[in-house]
Amino acid sequence: MKKNTFYLIIGCIAIALVCTFWYSDEIHSPLLIMGAFIAAIALIFYARSRVTDLIQDERDITITEQAMTRTMQVFWVVFCTFSIGAVAQMLQVPSFPRPPPSQHTVTLLSPRLIGFVQLGFLCLMIFLYVGFRIYYARKYGEWDTDEE
Amino acid sequence: MNDLTQDSLAHAIGVNRQTILAIEKGKYVPSLDLAFKIARYFKVNVEVVFIYEDETPAESVE
Repeated sequence: MKKNTFYLIIGCIAIALVCTFWYSDEIHSPLLIMGAFIAAIALIFYARSRVTDLIQDERDITITEQAMTRTMQVFWVVFCTFSIGAVAQMLQVPSFPRPPPSQHTVTLLSPRLIGFVQLGFLCLMIFLYVGFRIYYARKYGEWDTDEE
Repeated sequence: MNDLTQDSLAHAIGVNRQTILAIEKGKYVPSLDLAFKIARYFKVNVEVVFIYEDETPAESVE
């Protein structure tokens, strides 16, 4: 399989995933998009193993590793910050020790709000990864050209 | 040897042309494995192709 065919397949899979996402939202079945996502990733890995003219050498692997490491470093700080805030809300830190059960009103994050937060995390990870990848690709001469 | 292109060298040692270019420009330091592959391709010792430059500041000699 040629490299461009692989990229076309990725595009088709992405479109199919978006359609599946809206359909699973329509029929209120989150399991559908979750299963579709795993199937899509498996399909992409399989298609990638069939590409013949795509060379991934050690510089590519270094760029990917560095970008992923930096992304995870930023992500775990953001994620832990949110988690600590959520735990603090659960324990009602401002009124610690907790009031008696009669006055105890826990306002946990609603599932809808958690969904939006997860969406934010997802977008953050994608932006961070793409940004770091561009940075390290530039650092390791991805778009350099010959001078002569 | 003069008509050797980056593309043919890259193809011979199994990397991208951009990697050869990055090594030439000093933007990427190859692994020992790749360094030896390049040296072996030219049939010379690795020290002939690559020079080790110590980046730590030199200590003052008394």
